[in-house]
Amino acid sequence: MATFILRRLLTGLVTLLIASFLVYFATAALPGDVAQQLLGQDATEEAVAAMREELGIEQSVWLGYLSWLGGIITGDFGTSLVSQEPVSEIVFGAFGNTLLIAVPAILIGVVLSVLLGVIAAVRRGRAADSGISVGTLVAMSIPEFVIATLLVLIFAIALPVFPAVVLSGSEATLGELLPAIWLPIITLVLAMAAYIVRATRSSTIDMMAGEFARTAELKGLRRRQVLTRHVVPNALLPVLPVIAINIAWLMGGVVVVESIFNYPGMGALMIESVSTRDLPVLQAIAIITAVVYVLANLAADLLSMIIDPRQRRTSGTVSAKTTEEAA
Amino acid sequence: MSTRLSRRAMLGGSLGALAAMSLSACGVQAPMSIPQQARTGTPSPGGTMRIARPAASAAETLDSASSLGAYEYLGALFNRLVKMDEEGQTVPDLADDWESDASALVWTFHLRGGVRFHDGKELTAEDVVYSIRHVLDPDVGSPQAGTLESMFGPDDVTAVDKHTVRFSLQTANAEFPSLLTSYHCYIIPEGSAAEIGRTGVGTGPFKLESYTPAGAGVVVANEDYFEGRPVLDRIEFYSIQDTTARVNALLAGQVDLIAQTNLDHPTARVVTGTEGTTVARMENAQWYTIPMLYTSDEFSDVRVRQAMKHAYDPQSLLQTALQGEGDAGWDNPVPPGLAGRLEHNREYDPERAKSLLAEAGMEGFSTRLYTSSYEANLTPIATAHADQAAEAGIDLQITNVSADSYYTETWMQVPLMVSYFATGRPLDQLLNQIFRTGSGYNESAWANEDFDNLLDDARADVNESSRMQKYMDAQQLIIDESPHMTPIFGDRLVGLSEKVVNYREFSFEFDYLNIGLED
Repeated sequence: MATFILRRLLTGLVTLLIASFLVYFATAALPGDVAQQLLGQDATEEAVAAMREELGIEQSVWLGYLSWLGGIITGDFGTSLVSQEPVSEIVFGAFGNTLLIAVPAILIGVVLSVLLGVIAAVRRGRAADSGISVGTLVAMSIPEFVIATLLVLIFAIALPVFPAVVLSGSEATLGELLPAIWLPIITLVLAMAAYIVRATRSSTIDMMAGEFARTAELKGLRRRQVLTRHVVPNALLPVLPVIAINIAWLMGGVVVVESIFNYPGMGALMIESVSTRDLPVLQAIAIITAVVYVLANLAADLLSMIIDPRQRRTSGTVSAKTTEEAA
Repeated sequence: MSTRLSRRAMLGGSLGALAAMSLSACGVQAPMSIPQQARTGTPSPGGTMRIARPAASAAETLDSASSLGAYEYLGALFNRLVKMDEEGQTVPDLADDWESDASALVWTFHLRGGVRFHDGKELTAEDVVYSIRHVLDPDVGSPQAGTLESMFGPDDVTAVDKHTVRFSLQTANAEFPSLLTSYHCYIIPEGSAAEIGRTGVGTGPFKLESYTPAGAGVVVANEDYFEGRPVLDRIEFYSIQDTTARVNALLAGQVDLIAQTNLDHPTARVVTGTEGTTVARMENAQWYTIPMLYTSDEFSDVRVRQAMKHAYDPQSLLQTALQGEGDAGWDNPVPPGLAGRLEHNREYDPERAKSLLAEAGMEGFSTRLYTSSYEANLTPIATAHADQAAEAGIDLQITNVSADSYYTETWMQVPLMVSYFATGRPLDQLLNQIFRTGSGYNESAWANEDFDNLLDDARADVNESSRMQKYMDAQQLIIDESPHMTPIFGDRLVGLSEKVVNYREFSFEFDYLNIGLED
């Protein structure tokens, strides 16, 4: 098991390295640079040239990549080209705000979706099943920016219960953020629930048809016990990678959602840094997102080993399959 | 809350286009038309107004000379020597009087007495000299520097006495004062250049309380303002990046006005139809242009350029693209209402367009028309224009490119695109900045010696009526020969709360003194 964990960690590192390479060169290839974007239509050529020199953005891409990578390893993400503040300060502040909506969204979303999935499986073919299936399919089919807009129209404009936007931007205090996190959380939960519900439902149905479930039933266990002790833990195994992918998706999903709510998180910061070509900030965000992807998948693998003792013995083969599904 | 509101609200917001579609699909009549005039009335004294503005970059500053100036704050915090009125005439601000010598070379400005900066210091001629030299400073890279530098250097502006400033121009310019109405020419205290970007100490109707670049900020009433205290006690500025989010903040009552945002037509109707919010308009604030690149193969022939102009009807383009909310431009860049505008429209004649193209051997020629979502109306204008050009046998293929690099990668680099400016430049600056050979804003890269000479002659002409005639001749030359089209001027539709009274904004002027809130 230790070798397996070690191997997964190493693969994770290699993934991150490749990601860092792609991120750096893709962002460096963006047309236009920070000097042009900042100065905009009003810029004189002298001003653009002067600003480029001041910011030191004329150096070669390869040298830039190496020194950037070196910086990351030592925990230094560089300095923002726009605000001249340390990137780590800006990005981690925004990341914290994003976690404030992402963590509750994940917790509520996962618990609720698994519950609904199991209910749908148990009530297969009945009204509850159809209701849950139709409901989640509808939620899945509507893009999250439409859901977000509808929620604002209903709960901020027609019935002013929640604020429509966060006014103070990155200066907002926790007290200002707390009333504003609910609509984004609901949006994210609605957008990610469907996949988990569908996966839980089909895997629970499979497990209920399994021989171990029938054996348990024949042993005289009550249905509820069969379900909670035998079916659900096994049914969760194939759902874990789906959850992991959804957590990783969330890092992208927040981009649109945060921008609609003017929420000062990492998604909003990413849009801003793309439009100002603030590459150090953009690169740091991309790397953090990649880390979240790798960690979420790693956690899913480890968790499935904890739930399923069989996976601890088989070295690699089963887990490799899980990873493939995740990918 | 009425059911009418919720249905409209449900359909609205970012889904403006969808809303318009749904409205017609359901057979529901569109809500009331957009108001022509902002509400006027007697505001209750005091009060706090909350203004949402597009988030600028974190590098923005309160230094008005810079190209990164936080525009909405500037008019509240500072004054210029002179400002512009609604007809485009130059009127007093910090200078209450000015005159020139007979040849329009030496200009003398007399300052108001007893004006104080927010820190208590009295305004003197030295502050004015310092501020103008700051604009000319090459390290500042001010967008207004080029216009001013062409006439005088830093040593040519001097303080004659405590309240008199003199500009000794190197070339005569009878329109010189109008060039000081620019929003880059606000007056700051002597020696404050290094910190003005954060302190915002000016002479204006409001004083700075707090300010975060690209974030929130507060200004409070200046009790000692020379024209009397403003109606409002304070203004809170908030930065909201996403246009939809800005509109939502207004609809939800979190802000009272959204600045620097031109609502698209469907959204403006939603805002008008929602209880508590309404729309005011800045007439002809958006100057839409279609520059044909002078240096391109397609448009180097004047006959092709004339054909492009004769091929379309701006009046019908205005109806199609902007639902008539604006004025037809007829390829004259000077907006209606600005003194000195040539009131003579060119003809709409697609048959003539065809014969001109035949003459040039370019019958049925085809090129790309670039557009982007940089501004809401660019693509509707491109589509309407291409449709009309098709009738004259010109095939324009709409090419939609990324908004965030539109003005760095596409502008002035493709043969044909849709672009826009804000109106508000004084006549002389407008013609010189956008059309003179070699100017950085000359988006069609036009180079015409006759035109440049005409502008020089106009500047040197101290006789008002013959000078205006020269500016009109220059406009005629733009219409007849230049590669620059001005299809339409669009009204800017501004969303605000129904409580706001006496909102008045035109060109680059915002009336911070009289705007207020009703109970």
